[in-house]
Amino acid sequence: MLLCIIEGVIAIRNLSMRLTSGGREVSILDDIALDVPAKQFVAIVGPSGSGKSTLLGLIAGMDTPTSGTISLEGQEITNLSEDELARLRRRKIGYVFQSFHLIPTLTAQENVAVPLELAGDSEAESKANALLWAVGLGSRRHHYPAQLSGGEQQRVSVARAFANNPAILLADEPTGNLDTATGKQVIDLLIRLNRDHGSTLVLVTHDPALAAHAERIVCLRDGRIISDELQQRAPGALP
Amino acid sequence: MRTFALRMAWRETRAAWRHFTYFFICIALGVAALVGVGLFAANMDRAIQREARSLMAADVELRTTRPLTAEAEAVLRGFGGRGIARMHLSELVAMAAVRTGTQLVELKAVEPGYPFYGKLRAEPEQALATLFAGNNVLAEETLLIRLDLNVGDTLKIGRAEFRIAGLLKKEPDRAAGAFSFGPRVLMSQQGLAATQLIQPGSRVTHRHLLKLPEAVSPRAVQAELSATFPDKTVRVSTYQEAQPMLRRFLRQLTMYLGLVGLIALMVGGIGVASSVRAFLNEKLETIAVLKAVGAESRTILLVYLTQTLLLGLLGSLAGAALGAGLQIFLPPLMKTWLPIELKFRFALLPFVRGVAMGLLTTILFALWPLLEVRHVRPNLIFRRDVTEEPSGSAGRSAWIASGLLALALAGLALWQAGSWRAAGLFIGALIAALGLLQGAAWMVARLARRLPRWKPLAWRQGLANLYRPGSQVKTILVSVGVGVMVILAIHLVERNILWEIGENIPTDAPSFFFIDIQPDQQDAFARLLAERGHAEARLTPLVRSRLWALNGQPIGRENYEEREHGWYFTREYVLTFLKDLPKDNVVTKGDWWNAVEPSRAPRVSVEEEAARRLGLDIGSTVEFDIQGAKVSGKVVSIRKVEWGNMSTNFYFIFEPGALDGAPMTYVATARIDPKEEVPLQRTVIAAFPNVSAISIRDVLDSVARVVDRISLVIRFMAGLSILAGAIVLAGALAATRFRRIYEAMILKAVGATRRAIAQTFAVEYALLGAAAGVIGTGLAVALAWGVGHWILDVKWLFQPEALAWGVGGTIIGTILVGLLSTYRILGQKPLPVLRRE
Repeated sequence: MLLCIIEGVIAIRNLSMRLTSGGREVSILDDIALDVPAKQFVAIVGPSGSGKSTLLGLIAGMDTPTSGTISLEGQEITNLSEDELARLRRRKIGYVFQSFHLIPTLTAQENVAVPLELAGDSEAESKANALLWAVGLGSRRHHYPAQLSGGEQQRVSVARAFANNPAILLADEPTGNLDTATGKQVIDLLIRLNRDHGSTLVLVTHDPALAAHAERIVCLRDGRIISDELQQRAPGALP
Repeated sequence: MRTFALRMAWRETRAAWRHFTYFFICIALGVAALVGVGLFAANMDRAIQREARSLMAADVELRTTRPLTAEAEAVLRGFGGRGIARMHLSELVAMAAVRTGTQLVELKAVEPGYPFYGKLRAEPEQALATLFAGNNVLAEETLLIRLDLNVGDTLKIGRAEFRIAGLLKKEPDRAAGAFSFGPRVLMSQQGLAATQLIQPGSRVTHRHLLKLPEAVSPRAVQAELSATFPDKTVRVSTYQEAQPMLRRFLRQLTMYLGLVGLIALMVGGIGVASSVRAFLNEKLETIAVLKAVGAESRTILLVYLTQTLLLGLLGSLAGAALGAGLQIFLPPLMKTWLPIELKFRFALLPFVRGVAMGLLTTILFALWPLLEVRHVRPNLIFRRDVTEEPSGSAGRSAWIASGLLALALAGLALWQAGSWRAAGLFIGALIAALGLLQGAAWMVARLARRLPRWKPLAWRQGLANLYRPGSQVKTILVSVGVGVMVILAIHLVERNILWEIGENIPTDAPSFFFIDIQPDQQDAFARLLAERGHAEARLTPLVRSRLWALNGQPIGRENYEEREHGWYFTREYVLTFLKDLPKDNVVTKGDWWNAVEPSRAPRVSVEEEAARRLGLDIGSTVEFDIQGAKVSGKVVSIRKVEWGNMSTNFYFIFEPGALDGAPMTYVATARIDPKEEVPLQRTVIAAFPNVSAISIRDVLDSVARVVDRISLVIRFMAGLSILAGAIVLAGALAATRFRRIYEAMILKAVGATRRAIAQTFAVEYALLGAAAGVIGTGLAVALAWGVGHWILDVKWLFQPEALAWGVGGTIIGTILVGLLSTYRILGQKPLPVLRRE
């Protein structure tokens, strides 16, 4: 019972992920336990291959773990069907990918509108428009991804992640494909929007400077949590 | 370098079976169609050769519609001394009557010893022996079914009664093919004499069969007889020419089947091009790496060319084996109208030809995408964007090479078809259709860009998929469109023919013909019909004749040989004389006679088409041979005839009095209520046993059945090209698989359910199907119209239902094939896909 009370927005128990690759079983995540309270900004850090991106993907229900459970706002997600997971993501989760993953045949505005349309929002277009203005791309809303720079694409992707005003925002190396200056712009945007929307933010990065923005830093190595520390700084403060 | 190419080709094939499954099936299907038809034709030829003597039941046959003259009889009698056996067969249409009903039958009277070759089969077997003893007949089972009779019952034919001694099971020389007036009844010549059916002017075919001793050559006898009877009305043929109609029919049928099979191969070729292109697009990185480590363009080209050829060869061989397998299906489809047993035997020629055509098609269609490989630059490795297709023209050598390949392929196709004209036309039409479809596909891609991007995500995404780079729109539209075109055109033509002969009959058209009414029965017959309420029934005199001379020039061989419509010179003309212009006839030139005026030559009116083919005009003279007597006439008018009105129509009409004294019969036409048919026929047969009643409906049904059977076979072959189209469609969609998975997983990541993703696919497939359906249907209409107008000469029937099916069916089919080949994408997990990118 006690567990239920202290359980956060994100509650992970005994989570393991093993893949069979070339006939050999590889352990990606090994017995992970993690609770993230509401509105916390957590950075997950670790060297490449430590399993941090997989962990983030599993939180979003984009793959099925080998064992263990994940609860989002008290709802167990590991036994949900593909479609239930999709609806869950639509309602609760915004996701920012390292390589943007915008749909190339849709304009910036249409890309941002997709989650709203899927949720049946009748004001999808105007909301998408407003979000694009908020990320500073209002004037380029009719451009296709191929016509935008990497930084611009990632800002569209951030706008899309916030479209349904999700409780949980997951960002996987959002600056990994960007140069330093552009990366900083994007991260500032992400933090500002997160503060405005009051959502829980989980950021995966291998960049210590970026992680320094977070309230809490979870460090992964070889699929295990090796440290989990709260930062001294005020939540979401900019250095 | 050679071995490197071979080794590398094998490695690449090993790793990419998914692509090449479609490639393989595409070629195999087309080759299967061609080899299937080729083997069928070869087996058919062999069967006809093998059974040629039984197909005629003799070595030499003399066929005429007239009794032999005394001198001709003498010539044939003289043959007896040379060991040549002969017999006389008569074939005619007659009525069989029992107390409860009547039935039109095809009567055949034979003499003891029939047949010289082949086997006559009856059930029970002993019934054969009774044929020449007493009034016994053998009858086909359908007669017994229609009149509700049993073996042993009696029926009346003409003025004689006959006992049905048994069922006629097989008759070696029955004219095969097509159309028949009714079930066969076989009797002896004595039996036929007893019926008294043969009267002057009766429609009878006399066949005099000759059996030659081993030493006598049929050709020599044929030459001898032809010299004895220079008269065109006597046809002398040897067994090698038996069943000319059947041969011609089969030759044309296999030609059309072969051409339809060729379409399957061409559609398959489109699939090959798209498979090769898709494969190479995925290989761009490999190619760039190979170039970066020092491989020349030529070497790389050789790698993939070797691979393509190997696969093409394998596919062709598999297809050829499949084509042999088709022999299980084709003969049963035609069984009911083939008089011969088909035994399957392997024939090398169709096999080799099919494989060669498969290989040529493979190279022709793979050449362009392969040549583009030369333009891949090594720096491509540094770019992640591999969706971009290599650009640059394939160059002049490509044009020359594909020109040569296309020529070689066309040559093989012509060889397969056996007719330069038909095959040339066909290939021209096919190339035109492919070109039009290609153009239409380009238009569709452009149009899709301009269509409104409506809100629903499914619509927007589905639409966008049509015009993005690397979309398979062209491939899909062309291959599916061709398939739709063929199968729908066949259907439209068939419906058109059936409509023309069946439904396009005026409501006041007669429903019955009474034939062979003798002149002395004319009045009594008209009275009988009038008594039964058919005062409107018309009796028209018929005189059977042959064309003898045009403008004083006797008809010679040069008139009809080597001429497409030589038939107009040699056919039998049924003449009549009339006072008034018949209904539905319009005089287009000259004047109809209004009063009998004394003139030196009798006046005659000619049908428009006959006048054109025979070169007749107002003032020309025509001379006819009526059973030896010559009657000539002066053309005074040219008429247009409504042939479809199902009345008695004539090419030549004389003025009254011109044909007096010629042997003639009368034909009566009447419109009879279905309820009244049976009692009326019975009354007629009782009073006039020699008169035959022909129901138009039965005749049309019989024709419709023939059309139906032929179109069934052709549709079977066309089904292969539809199948090829579906394979190409699936292959083309598979080529976009990576992109589809990627986008589907993004949609999933932002919250799309499987249903929502399936909807975006469905919209895309529906749009593709609609475009292919509309274009294919349009081309089908053009093709069917062309065939109807120029080849079959039938009127055009607008068939909105069929057209709606063409479009609707294509949409449904495309959605089905599309979803079937992509549904597995829906179940994928987003994370592994999106992380790999």
